[in-house]
Amino acid sequence: MVHEFQYRAPSSRPELLALLQEHGTSAKVLAGGTDLLPNIRMGIAKPAYVVDCKRLPEADRLVFSPSEGLRIGHGVTISAILRDRTVRERFPLLAEAAHELASHQVRNRATVAGNVVNASPCSDMALPLLCLDAEAVLASVSGERTVSFREFFTGPKATVMKPGEFLAEIRVPAAAADRKGRYAKLKRVKGHDLGIVGVLLASAPDGLRAAVSSAAPTPVLVSGIDASLDAQAVDALVQKAIKPIDDVRCTAEYRRYMVGAFIRRLLPEVNR
Amino acid sequence: MFDQVRPEDLAFVGKDSGRIDATEKLTGEALYVSDMTVPGMLHAAVKRSPHARARILRIDTSKAAALPGVRAVVTGAELDYRLGLYVVDKYILAKGEVRHYGEAVAAVAAETYAQARRAADAIIVEYEPLPPVLHHMDALKTDAPLVHPDLGSYDHIAAVFTPKPGTNIANHTRLRKGDTEKGFAESEWVVEREYSCPSVQHVPMETHVAIAKWARGDQVEIWTSAQSPFTVRNLFCHAFKLPHNNVRVHIPYVGGGFGGKAGIGVEPLAAVLSRAAGGKAVKFQATREEEFSLLPCRSALTYRIKTGVGADGKIKAQEMTMYWDSGAYADYAVNVTRASGYSAAGPYEIPAASIDAYTIYTNKPFGTAYRGFGHVEFHWGLERHMELVAKAIGMDPLEFRRRNALRPGSITLTGEKITDHTGDVVKCMNAAAEAVGYGTLSPEEAERERRTGRKIGKGVAALHKAPAMPSFTATAVVIKMNEDGSVTVNLALTDYGQGTYTSIRQIVAERLGFPLEKVKISFECDTDKDPYDWQTVASKGLLLSGNAAILAAEDLLANAYEVAAQVLRANVRDLDHDGTRIFLRHNPDESVEFAKIAVGYAYPNGNGIGGPILGVGRYVAQGLSNLNKETGQGNPALDWTYGAHGIVAEVDPETGEYEVLKIASVFDVGRAINPQIVRGQSIGGMVQGLGTAVCEGYIYDDKGILLNPSFTDNKIPTAKDIPEVIESAVVETPQIDGPYGARGVGEHSMISVAAALGNAIQDATGAEIVHMPLRFEDVWRALREKTPIDNWITKSPLGSCRSAPELRNRKKDG
Amino acid sequence: MTITLTVNGVPYTRDAAENKTLLHFLREDLGLTGTKEGCGMGECGACTVFLNGRTVNSCCVLAVEADGASIETIEGEAGPAGLSEIQKAFDRNHAVQCGFCTPGMILSVKELLKAKPKPTVAEIKEAIEGNFCRCTGYEQIVEAVLDVTGQGTGKGRLDHV
Repeated sequence: MVHEFQYRAPSSRPELLALLQEHGTSAKVLAGGTDLLPNIRMGIAKPAYVVDCKRLPEADRLVFSPSEGLRIGHGVTISAILRDRTVRERFPLLAEAAHELASHQVRNRATVAGNVVNASPCSDMALPLLCLDAEAVLASVSGERTVSFREFFTGPKATVMKPGEFLAEIRVPAAAADRKGRYAKLKRVKGHDLGIVGVLLASAPDGLRAAVSSAAPTPVLVSGIDASLDAQAVDALVQKAIKPIDDVRCTAEYRRYMVGAFIRRLLPEVNR
Repeated sequence: MFDQVRPEDLAFVGKDSGRIDATEKLTGEALYVSDMTVPGMLHAAVKRSPHARARILRIDTSKAAALPGVRAVVTGAELDYRLGLYVVDKYILAKGEVRHYGEAVAAVAAETYAQARRAADAIIVEYEPLPPVLHHMDALKTDAPLVHPDLGSYDHIAAVFTPKPGTNIANHTRLRKGDTEKGFAESEWVVEREYSCPSVQHVPMETHVAIAKWARGDQVEIWTSAQSPFTVRNLFCHAFKLPHNNVRVHIPYVGGGFGGKAGIGVEPLAAVLSRAAGGKAVKFQATREEEFSLLPCRSALTYRIKTGVGADGKIKAQEMTMYWDSGAYADYAVNVTRASGYSAAGPYEIPAASIDAYTIYTNKPFGTAYRGFGHVEFHWGLERHMELVAKAIGMDPLEFRRRNALRPGSITLTGEKITDHTGDVVKCMNAAAEAVGYGTLSPEEAERERRTGRKIGKGVAALHKAPAMPSFTATAVVIKMNEDGSVTVNLALTDYGQGTYTSIRQIVAERLGFPLEKVKISFECDTDKDPYDWQTVASKGLLLSGNAAILAAEDLLANAYEVAAQVLRANVRDLDHDGTRIFLRHNPDESVEFAKIAVGYAYPNGNGIGGPILGVGRYVAQGLSNLNKETGQGNPALDWTYGAHGIVAEVDPETGEYEVLKIASVFDVGRAINPQIVRGQSIGGMVQGLGTAVCEGYIYDDKGILLNPSFTDNKIPTAKDIPEVIESAVVETPQIDGPYGARGVGEHSMISVAAALGNAIQDATGAEIVHMPLRFEDVWRALREKTPIDNWITKSPLGSCRSAPELRNRKKDG
Repeated sequence: MTITLTVNGVPYTRDAAENKTLLHFLREDLGLTGTKEGCGMGECGACTVFLNGRTVNSCCVLAVEADGASIETIEGEAGPAGLSEIQKAFDRNHAVQCGFCTPGMILSVKELLKAKPKPTVAEIKEAIEGNFCRCTGYEQIVEAVLDVTGQGTGKGRLDHV
């Protein structure tokens, strides 16, 4: 690549956090690299330091326990999510969204953490994480804090993460296990594509949830929807929460329409 | 060629044969220019315009030149060379003014690509932005800015093309046949509609790349990923006023072309950098982003058709007006306009026709050849039009097509008479229709509709195309016998994936009567060593080079027989051969092996005769003529390949989402030399056609900035996008002057796919779509009769696709 | 920085610039040009290689990330006895045209067949969706995979009307 940077591959979390603390915004964490490296190539990202987080021993940890729920390490790839039997059986929403993300080669490399840190409005993984009450564990030299994904995204490519912070782990509460739902994603081709607009409809104890991508500056969650409402009423609630735009991929008008169409399509399946 | 051989008498032609280039491609051993390095080689990068149109006020290269590793910096100011195949209108680097977003204004050669890139970024260019003219219909307005104010002074091929100085018209092709006024007056119905499609990218998997070395004494050597070595050499020599024997062009394996590499591309840029760097070789490889806007695309088209139909459903008159968006330079677009002009009515007989086809300059990346050479674009309009006219007059669209199809005895637009060996388009249409169960739904399909709530529709679209090439297009093939009696075939037609070489090998083996293993087609083309070929374009390669190969094989055998006749003390007429030896027919034991005479026969006492055996075949297109510039009459067509596609589409009538369930493609190929290669061309082109039908296309903002120059927002079909069922079939009406009756089919598979899809979607839902691509949203809008989105130029300051209606109604001969 | 890795079973120790992609390292430093660059953005799959047993787009991996890794490229596919079974099936079924996507395509198929010895057509298409091919239209590639997994219905047919 043209842009030059220094590569660091710390082997422990303290070492990594110290590097991030030292270099602040001039450092970028490298996980799967499927977003960061194209961004460096295009000149969108110009880090002086690229800090590879995959050599931390806990990077690939993907474990479930009834007490701690599902813990997704920062290096867990999309493919690992798809291969994991517990995820497939107990957190099918994660597997369904993972399956829709990019191509096989990208899924082998891209990480769940990277997908949400990147904070694209079209993030595939954000939708199930929102529906599953997942939290991000943010670590820095001054300690850890936990942020719900409902508060995590602040704008296109923007999150609550501060310089020096690192998304160390994603936690999905055990209570969210076995939540059922369906995901629909509008694409321009049947092959791998970014979501032009996406809707994940899921049932939760507090009612129905609708998570929507590519229809606002951030992924959007509408929760607590009365499960007895019909599709039109659900759509009306969701329409109030989204704010789609016209762009090269689609018009705002069609995005709004397709959100409604997906709700009509998915609702009977989720209610079944 | 020339004679017809029954299929059962053929050993290799018409039969499957493995691709000769498979092993090296499957193992990664095939070397492409992008894989090559030359000792001391430098790498190039270009500085490109961020504006669609701007005056260049100042270029400061001092900072760039001082950066580490930089060996040469060039700008347009020091390069006074213009390029152009038909209209010589393009500088190697922009000079004075930039004419499209992404145009190169300066270039750097450095020891590494990163150094070159950094230096190019460090070049400072001061621009005075000028208002661009973005839409081709806007460019026709009288007050439109002129993309080329000096058009009148440009060299051009005047016998064929008509630029209009003082306008943005790079060429006007005009054709008149019969009395259209009378035809319309006698018509029961007159239907007039307009169709359009945007610019699209070829997307060869290997981007444009060239290595050039400009050595002492102006000896230039070029390795390039291109389709046509001799055209690269010819245009290069014209631009730099160099003798042709100073320049040598090599073409090794090429990672796809599709017309985008037909002419000259990045070679001159690499060459001027090499010269500036003191003769070090320089490699320039376009990035994928550069492929979209530095290099050419396919022209956008607005096509207006007015058709008069008699009570019997026969077309009486048709007025066709094509507005081709050439972008900033004419390149191949002027010839796309010409070829589309004389083919504009498709495979139908039009007794009275008028055609005006304009090539229009705009401030956008320029248009060039693309598989189908205009026919994909205008058949979109034409075959949608045939559907809409049929519906308007209450006739089944397929029946309407059949009733008007060209048949033996029909007269084409240019006055050519169709014969019974031209090909059979009706047979193609019928076969395509039958394959998709046109006109009805099968019980399974009806059940599927009930189950899914989606609508299933079927559409058929027909097509034709003749090679678009100079009337005297020529080629040659040389076959050289090796010491062991095997042969090596040299030709400068390139094989960048089509499989033509594999077919030529079958033809050569057939005519030589040699086993396939004894025939090698040499893969790398080299203008110093190979005989001339005009270009690898136009689906003309198999016919012209196949014929030349037959002639070369015959010449080689004649030369071998002459030596054998001396050795055997016989008359050549009494000789025959079996692939290994030449023998006396009446006494087969009297023989001499090819290996014994391959490089000269030696008598026992040492005396030699003969010398190396080789065969030369030369072939030139025959009987073709330039078209009359006023009437378009003449004979432009080497051959016509007909075809048809049938599509079954399933559409969600609510959302506009759809899926192509099945496609069946049928072409009259004359004879399928290698059925699997024909099938590969058929399916490959069809899927490429589906890509442009479904989603591909350039999207600009209102300043002419290309918004989707990447695979992120310019999707192409993936394996998941192909129809569940794909059927390919051929009709074989032998081409009298084709090799073993064959004619070309490389481009045809892409033509009319979009129209067949549009027809199927309309059949399913009634959605009337006249602009392609057919994105789901476009279908949805058509279903709801909403205003179509027109973001191919977003909110152009001078209007949009539907601007300038007054121009469409004006008198056409102005 | 100095990295050590094996490529097609051969150990290498080389200096690699920290900003060099694995793709460019393989092509420029090891001369393994069978792996192609089609976009440099992880979209087209021409640069597909195996990294520690799984396919990745090598344009989106840094060479230094591959320190200690085991890499397989197209150059490792054919054995001393000749083409691999996948390669032979591609040859038999005309699944190659310009050849630029072919190396990546073959490696994607190889990964599929490790997990699914008898893939369905849908599974084949999904496995290669990340490998763009502009020439073939994919159909003959799918047929080649069916063929090599013993599910071939014979070569696709060109009908004569």
